[in-house]
Amino acid sequence: MQRRFFLKCLGCTALATAATQTDLLPEIIGGVQNACAFDYTKKLASVEARHYKKLETGGIECGICPRRCNITNLERGYCGTRENRDDVYYTLVYGLPCAVNVDPIEKKPLFHFYPGTTAFSLATAGCNSNCKFCQNWDISQSRPEQTDNIDLPPKSIVDICLGKNVPTIAYTYSEPVIFFEYMYDTAELARKQAIKSVMITGGYIEKEPLHDLFGVLDAIKVDLKAIREDYYKNIVDAELKPVLDGLIEIKKAGMWLEIVYLIVPTLNDSEEEFKELAQWIKTNLGVDTPIHFSRFYPQYLLKNLPPTPQETMEKAHDICRAEGLQFVYLGNLPGHPAESTYCPGCGKVLIERRGYRIYKYNLKGSNCSFCNRKIPGIFE
Amino acid sequence: MSRVIVVKWPAEKVSKGLDKKSYKIMLEAGLTSLFDSNSLKTTIDRLFPGGIIGMKTNCLTRKFNSTPVALTDALSDILINNNIKENNIVVWERTNYELEQAGYKLNASSFGRRCLGTDSNGVGYSRDFYGAGDVNSLVTGILTNMVDHNINVPVLKDHSIAGLSGCLKNMYGAIHNPNKYHGNNCNPYAAHVSQLEPIKSRNRLSVIDATRVQYNFGPGYDSRYIENFGGLIISIDSVAADRVGLEIVETMRRNNKLPSLKEAGRPPDYLQTAGEIGLGIADMQKIELKVFTVNDTGKPQAGRLF
Repeated sequence: MQRRFFLKCLGCTALATAATQTDLLPEIIGGVQNACAFDYTKKLASVEARHYKKLETGGIECGICPRRCNITNLERGYCGTRENRDDVYYTLVYGLPCAVNVDPIEKKPLFHFYPGTTAFSLATAGCNSNCKFCQNWDISQSRPEQTDNIDLPPKSIVDICLGKNVPTIAYTYSEPVIFFEYMYDTAELARKQAIKSVMITGGYIEKEPLHDLFGVLDAIKVDLKAIREDYYKNIVDAELKPVLDGLIEIKKAGMWLEIVYLIVPTLNDSEEEFKELAQWIKTNLGVDTPIHFSRFYPQYLLKNLPPTPQETMEKAHDICRAEGLQFVYLGNLPGHPAESTYCPGCGKVLIERRGYRIYKYNLKGSNCSFCNRKIPGIFE
Repeated sequence: MSRVIVVKWPAEKVSKGLDKKSYKIMLEAGLTSLFDSNSLKTTIDRLFPGGIIGMKTNCLTRKFNSTPVALTDALSDILINNNIKENNIVVWERTNYELEQAGYKLNASSFGRRCLGTDSNGVGYSRDFYGAGDVNSLVTGILTNMVDHNINVPVLKDHSIAGLSGCLKNMYGAIHNPNKYHGNNCNPYAAHVSQLEPIKSRNRLSVIDATRVQYNFGPGYDSRYIENFGGLIISIDSVAADRVGLEIVETMRRNNKLPSLKEAGRPPDYLQTAGEIGLGIADMQKIELKVFTVNDTGKPQAGRLF
């Protein structure tokens, strides 16, 4: 990275920090006003959904995620954002995000994707799982009429990014799979303007829509919540296998992929699980796939558990490194050395991070400045 | 033992819906028989000792098969005639839109009977989660902040997932995340939703509109599978009321050569669960069922379910 570009990136990070303050949002998004709160008739979109089929017995089957909800007239699927109206299936959240911010890309976290840049980040209400630790439950577990939404069609997002020099759009916070159509159309439009798109997801998605997204996205970060099926059943209210299958598909497609694993004390923090996780990644995705262990803080329905001890985080880190994974990060531990990227060849610091800020950048293009080893990721 | 009263209007006279006067005759007959006192005033005083009274409607299907305005009007009249102030009655649903679509006139003012959705300004959902069994939800501010008692006034229907839509299923409209609780034919969720403290503690009376029953292809409206039954199901036990409703739906399905709900893959097993957790009585053998027929003269006569 050139010195000038690095400084620009630092500037973007500062912008992002400022932008996360809600009162600055109207300026950033061009004066778009909040939709009238709790106004059912004005708030919901009526754009026909994709990936569904009409059933011979009446009703429709949603094909966006492995739940494959069967939905009769006037009912919605598990996500609460897609509704059957006389056997035509509609997304109710198209163009109606309830959360919009400009964030550092490190916040997603994506550490090997244009480090130091920013992402225009957005989410709609709804989610296709119900993680008991969700930090955004107030939007992810709500129906769209229960959130304050803004009218922000795909073109407006792209125009804002162009106007403010934001290089990436991140579909994040809740679960972008459930606003598939909005994400897809925005990403498609953004690509024509050389703006990147990244999906921050739980990865609970059917193959067909996932393959569609490969054509318009540039990177995917998957929250792999655990490596055990019972955890998915009891804590996430979803299934593990489709997520693992999806990870393999993403890798096969050549899409840049990073993984986050939130360590929840007593629930998914055993040494056996860390080892199993590392081996699965090594076997199926490769040792160069970055994994971020994230520290749990009591939230939503898991307020009875303590924050993850630092020793547990470090144990996970050490086990994965011992298994050969090359890029193992610890998140929500500001100042920890494992926030930084190290060259697998010479071991020197490539990108020194503290929180979302970058303090040293020792890459030339995609290569280590010291030993010239190529580092996986998208850096230029 | 739980008592359930079914009051029937001649079925052949209900195809266009009943008016307020007819509903009032039915309600007076049913409520009078709800307790051994055989007194309407005693029933009202016992159920609603002061305070504000909510009426949870089911307006999912707009004017076609929602809780009739005439029914809540008749119920309101009876309460007002028994010294409940008009403004202390709150007819409610999830959203204002649904109420309006079903023919209700919104009123959030300090005058007259109130009628509003959880999405009305200043209402919303509780700040804190309530939990019961497998359910964790925010509960409508109408129950947590506004009313002291609630009358559950659903419409009896088949339900494509739950099997049966009656009292327990209607309370999905009181929580912020109903879409999360449709798995496994809503079992145990429908039982656990009604077990949530603000719902359980305020529900005092159930009045199921079974005048025209959607016995197949519910909960949406499908005119091919509507049958005139002409009944109201009244009980202080919402589980028992639903259990009697299930008898009605299953009988109609049988009479129309349709498979039972279990055979159709949607057994309403949540009723059994509700019985097991002590929410009410789900065993027909332990339900004291009283059936009356009434007509314009207002004199109830003993009758049969079918």
